[in-house]
Amino acid sequence: MTVPLVDCQQVTFAYGAPAGFTLRDLSFEVRAGETFGVIGPNASGKTTLVRLLSRVLTPAAGRIALDGVDLAALSRAAVARQIAVVPQDVPSGFPHTVEELVLMGRYPRSPRRFFESEEDRAAARRAMESVGVLDLRGALLDRLSGGERQRAMLARALAQEPRLLVLDEPTAHLDLRYQAECAGLLRRLGRDGRLTIVLVSHDLGFAAELSDRLMLVAAGAAVRVGAPEDVLEESILEAAYGCRVIVDKHPISRRPTVHLVYPPA
Amino acid sequence: MRSAGPISGARLALLLGGLALLVLLIAVGSLFIGSARVPPGDVMAVLASRVKGVDQVVVLSLRLPRILVALLAGGALAVAGAGFQALARNPLAEPSVLGVSSGAAFGVVLAQVMGLGGGLVETVGLAACAFAGALVAGVAVYLIAARAGALPVHTLLLAGVIVGIFFSSTITVLISVVDFDRLGGVIHWLLGNLSPIPPRSLAVFAALLAVGGWLVIGAARRLNLLTLGEENAAQLGVDAEALKRRIFAGAALLTSAAVAFAGPIGFVGLIVPQALRLLLGPDNRVVIPAALLGGGAFLLLADTLARNVIAPAELSVGVITAFCGAPFFIYLLRARTGTAQP
Amino acid sequence: MMRFLAAVALAVALLPAPARALTVTDQAGRQITLPAAPARIISLVPSVTEILFAIGAQDRLVGVTDFCDYPAEARRKPHVGGMLAPSLEGMVSLKPELVVVTNAGNRQETFDQLERLRIPVYVVNPVTVSDVLDLMGRLGRLTDRAEAADRAVAVLRERMREVTARVEGRPRPRVLYVLWPDPLMVPGRGSLVSELIALAGGESVTADGGPEYRRYSLEAALARNPEVIVLASHSSERSPPKRDNWERLSRVPAIAAGRLYTINGDLTHRYGPRIVDGLERLARLIHPEAFNRAESSR
Repeated sequence: MTVPLVDCQQVTFAYGAPAGFTLRDLSFEVRAGETFGVIGPNASGKTTLVRLLSRVLTPAAGRIALDGVDLAALSRAAVARQIAVVPQDVPSGFPHTVEELVLMGRYPRSPRRFFESEEDRAAARRAMESVGVLDLRGALLDRLSGGERQRAMLARALAQEPRLLVLDEPTAHLDLRYQAECAGLLRRLGRDGRLTIVLVSHDLGFAAELSDRLMLVAAGAAVRVGAPEDVLEESILEAAYGCRVIVDKHPISRRPTVHLVYPPA
Repeated sequence: MRSAGPISGARLALLLGGLALLVLLIAVGSLFIGSARVPPGDVMAVLASRVKGVDQVVVLSLRLPRILVALLAGGALAVAGAGFQALARNPLAEPSVLGVSSGAAFGVVLAQVMGLGGGLVETVGLAACAFAGALVAGVAVYLIAARAGALPVHTLLLAGVIVGIFFSSTITVLISVVDFDRLGGVIHWLLGNLSPIPPRSLAVFAALLAVGGWLVIGAARRLNLLTLGEENAAQLGVDAEALKRRIFAGAALLTSAAVAFAGPIGFVGLIVPQALRLLLGPDNRVVIPAALLGGGAFLLLADTLARNVIAPAELSVGVITAFCGAPFFIYLLRARTGTAQP
Repeated sequence: MMRFLAAVALAVALLPAPARALTVTDQAGRQITLPAAPARIISLVPSVTEILFAIGAQDRLVGVTDFCDYPAEARRKPHVGGMLAPSLEGMVSLKPELVVVTNAGNRQETFDQLERLRIPVYVVNPVTVSDVLDLMGRLGRLTDRAEAADRAVAVLRERMREVTARVEGRPRPRVLYVLWPDPLMVPGRGSLVSELIALAGGESVTADGGPEYRRYSLEAALARNPEVIVLASHSSERSPPKRDNWERLSRVPAIAAGRLYTINGDLTHRYGPRIVDGLERLARLIHPEAFNRAESSR
């Protein structure tokens, strides 16, 4: 029984009383090398989970361990060396180029340095190459398409050389084409098992397609954890989302797909 | 300038070297200009310490110290502005928005109105009053804006503006009740006033600039990361709250030093960093050190102009920074809109 | 033994003093020692400029402010700027042996800078009429024009006696002196203007307290029922002060009686020899009957 890469034990968190708890007694594991999807309705606590995993927030109760080490015992930079987050987007008006953005990912490796080293630049180049943005490196991020921007942000996360990659709603602003592109990239990155991926998404199909295991979170608690077929079950989904759904199979990959039942007039 | 890839130590050194040379040229040039007609040959003679007398007094005791004050004050204000703009991610942020410069001005005006003034000790005493005022304002802003250990940026800006307005109003009240005799002096000081200060004060000023400058420039790389948003920067390992406190402290220190020794001077902290960003790109590791030199050069130029354009009467330097700064900035903005943002 | 000591004392007394060295005390109580009567003086005070001309010491004056406009020759002297921000370089390049400043008008900063440059500074601070006459005497001794100064002072004193004699025994009208109309600024107790009004046979309604020149509420001033109102004009203004605003206040005794006058402020605000001119003007305005002339205004 190997130690799981991420071990969440009864994690509880609330954004300031009296709003009520955002996460309550949440426990789950992520195994090394797997792609782990987190799904659930809005305000279920998915984004909070991302923040807890990246040490932006600390749990009010419970413990998150990375490879057996409590996250709270690590410095922010130490966490950033192991866990990289790909956010949904950068703020508008972001003034830097792709290469400058990717180099920012090297900060946790050498926070005391004023300038990046040769090694940092090399690592950045490798990251950009692995996602195919190397020839965009001098371009301003603002000028790129949604898909290119996301690849750049992915490169930045990879430049951190993390063991765990957390993606927060990766398909939220993407065209279909870039959604497909993103899926291919993530598959490739997760393929050899050196990178563990946590995928937080409201897009059930995307999550089902890419994840080895899924966790459905609703009202701050884990409703179900397991293989996509086990989690994406009509009754479970209806209870969590409060609407009628039909679960089918993708014609090519045979992974579960979820269809909404639209109410009649 | 925004061309060949990200910045490296060597390229920054080259850029700063070039700027430093420019500053040196302006400074040396200013030694030759003034209301007393000192022919260039005589200036050189003084510098080679071959000549004593009036020329030496003019060049070494009047012009040189004033040039140094201008360089220090301009640099301090520009670095404070650059740091604060990066922190607030807002181009309008400048030292006076912190409320600190109004607090410092209040300290000095209060001292002048209460009659503190009789001797050389008072120059340092006046600076100490400026600090006290700045400290009160800074602490007030911090206490108002901080909640649960965090310092939300927009609350910081609002608190700074409110505190600034409060102190400005108290200054107005003081002015309205002050003795007729003292009134002229107080108002004159409020317009900004670069005058030669004794070497000991210069040393104190330089030391404060060094500390404040280190606080801001040392955090330049982290300020770059802050453009990703506080949360994303935190995910990269940046302690955003500690960074905010550090920049706030540094900017406040720099601003109070500048106000204490040179009076309240506006515009420098707003224009110089913005102009440099437009010219040099958004990397704070380039902009903030460049602001240290560029701010000094700008203020020195403005002051030289203010002193000599209607000689022997002298304009206040704040007038020139506003009149000359504004059109230049408008030109820059229109010529290069779209290239970069803070 | 005593005779020996007496001889020594006599010898010491007969030792030649150092050639013309000068130690004076200025009006701030500071002691200033100069090697000789200063031949190059910069005056940062318009009234001091007037005094120097009045005692015949103008040849020693090498620098004045932009406001030193009387007498006319004063304007031709080299200028060093205003009273608040005179050019330090300008002053230094004139190689002054003494700079005269005042507590009321020049800045502490200017004083500090001059001290730092080791330029001797003489501070004047006259408040009363006798201070002004005393200042004339001091400046006379300072510039080796003691006799001329004493003569000038004597003439001024005679003119003053003439005025006070003429107005003696007469009822003292209440006088409102308007230094500046908006915001209303008036002379308080102990100010030169209030003293001149008193000498001229009037009673300043605002001389009841407060600093020398203070802001005052118009209502409070008018509530004292002034019988004479004097508006001061300033050399910096092109046109004489506006009378309309005052003439509207028809219930005030002064206005009802048509006793609204103007006076050249330089005669009453500058601490120089012309205060006697100012005194004479004021007396004529307050007690026209004592001078056998119809009321006049300038």
